[in-house]
Amino acid sequence: MKKRFDPSWWGTAVLWFWAAVCLLPIVYFASIALRPRNEIIAPSPIYFPTITTETWAKIFAEWPIMSYFVNSVIAISGSVFICLLLGIPAAYALARYNFKGREDIGFYILSTKFMAPAAVAIPIFVLFGQLKMLDTVWALMLVYAAMNLSIVVWIIRSYMVDIPAAIEDAARTDGASDLRILWEIVIPMCLPGIITAAVIAAIFAMNEYLFTLIIASKNAYPLSVALANFSGGSDGIIYNAIALVGFMAFLPALLLVILIQNHLSRGLTMGAVKG
Amino acid sequence: MTDAALSLPRTTTRRRSALQRRAFPYLLLAPAVIFLLGITLWPGIYAVKRSLQTGKFKLEWVGLQNYRELFADNTFWTAVWNTLFLGSVTLAIEAVIAMALAAFVYRSNWARSWRIIFMLPMLFMPSAVSYLWKLLFNDGRVIADLIRRVGFDYGNIDWMGSAFNARFVLVVTDVWQWTPFLFIIFVAGLQGQDKEIEEAARLDGASWTKIFFNISLPMLRPVIAIALVLRGIDILNNMAAVNIITQGTPGGATETLSYFIYRTAFRSFEQGYASAASVVVLITTIVLAQFLVRRFFRSGTDS
Repeated sequence: MKKRFDPSWWGTAVLWFWAAVCLLPIVYFASIALRPRNEIIAPSPIYFPTITTETWAKIFAEWPIMSYFVNSVIAISGSVFICLLLGIPAAYALARYNFKGREDIGFYILSTKFMAPAAVAIPIFVLFGQLKMLDTVWALMLVYAAMNLSIVVWIIRSYMVDIPAAIEDAARTDGASDLRILWEIVIPMCLPGIITAAVIAAIFAMNEYLFTLIIASKNAYPLSVALANFSGGSDGIIYNAIALVGFMAFLPALLLVILIQNHLSRGLTMGAVKG
Repeated sequence: MTDAALSLPRTTTRRRSALQRRAFPYLLLAPAVIFLLGITLWPGIYAVKRSLQTGKFKLEWVGLQNYRELFADNTFWTAVWNTLFLGSVTLAIEAVIAMALAAFVYRSNWARSWRIIFMLPMLFMPSAVSYLWKLLFNDGRVIADLIRRVGFDYGNIDWMGSAFNARFVLVVTDVWQWTPFLFIIFVAGLQGQDKEIEEAARLDGASWTKIFFNISLPMLRPVIAIALVLRGIDILNNMAAVNIITQGTPGGATETLSYFIYRTAFRSFEQGYASAASVVVLITTIVLAQFLVRRFFRSGTDS
């Protein structure tokens, strides 16, 4: 008798195959960051290059990589802060109060997630142009916040619904105000949900491309669009720098996701799929 | 009994008027809703207004002319077709791979490790992944080299030379990066299912393939629906890969709607014309969202 739920050897073979499909391009990408430029584009691909970090000094000297990174950090963390500030109270209202229009408001918030960025790209460009905010991290921050608010509200709402209402009722009987209950009981109890929402919002903001492309033009480049800088010049596409910047964004994302790995599916489906 | 009343003073001092109580949830929601209206309602109205105008600096009202031109424009319809065709092919491939992987992983003792490995591609920025595959296919010629090494000599394949090749590159890029998204949701859904049903079927002598296809998979349907809706939307909106790898070549065969709007508005600077396309997309998404959101997500306080 075979082991239970063992999908046999070929199941394992499929898994190893896909692991190779996932990992080999990543390893190759890492090797691109670690090889000299003349070994990137060669007559036939070089799979075992000279490993060196010499190119890094040149890359950091020629491009303001750190300022791209700082722009990303400011825009992303600011946007996550805005999302939580606006999202937590909204999530609480949707999770705990019965009021007229709750369904419609909740679904309106969720439906903004379905809006195509391309469809509002022109108005957003014009809007920030009129506010004299084009090419600023503040514009990126607001756009990322707007893009992620629906997700944040719905993720946190899902966690709040799971808190037994009896605890809040007890506190209310003791005379605690609604805001105090939210701050001292509900928020601490749904902290995993808040962290999950924050991590997912941060990663989506890091990935954002279209709005970033039209807003940032010089000073406000974050990592996602800064990559385009490495492809315009006379040197062709500078893949060393692209790989290096790619990993600069990848490593923090990996750490954050490992932190919330058991909540990931719930976060990605905005609370609809638990586990 | 006045003493009893005195022993519960806080409930009376903290009580607010009925109006305040009723207004409270709206006050909690107001900042978020106002912010979202600012970035959806105003842009929507502006897009409609702009779509009725033409010109780059001096705007002129032209009525529905932009729409008439748009609906007669072959590049627009090609973009619509590409978006739907590329999107559904990509989504189908991702769903099949993700489900196969999930089926093998969800009861494995190593589920957590597999999950971490499989989700790595998803954690790179789409722009970085686009450059990575641009390098692997085009500039570094790695894929052609690998194909030659396993014994099929097609020489130097021109990946941007035909519509099929260029589309293939885009599909591979998206599948590599985003299959994990579906995989993670499918695994969680399968793991959330009651083990005892599978157990009972096993005791009755059912094979694991039978159990998976006849029991686990049908029970997973709502989860699959949500996952596909979310991924489908992101696929339709994807434009980093198009912009970085193909830029719509060859001959518009890989131009998606997002890229069409971007190119028309920010490369050719025909914002009135692009706005007309934006409005078409907006109306479609509003209608779709109304349907999908209420169909697949539950509101209410009952989780």
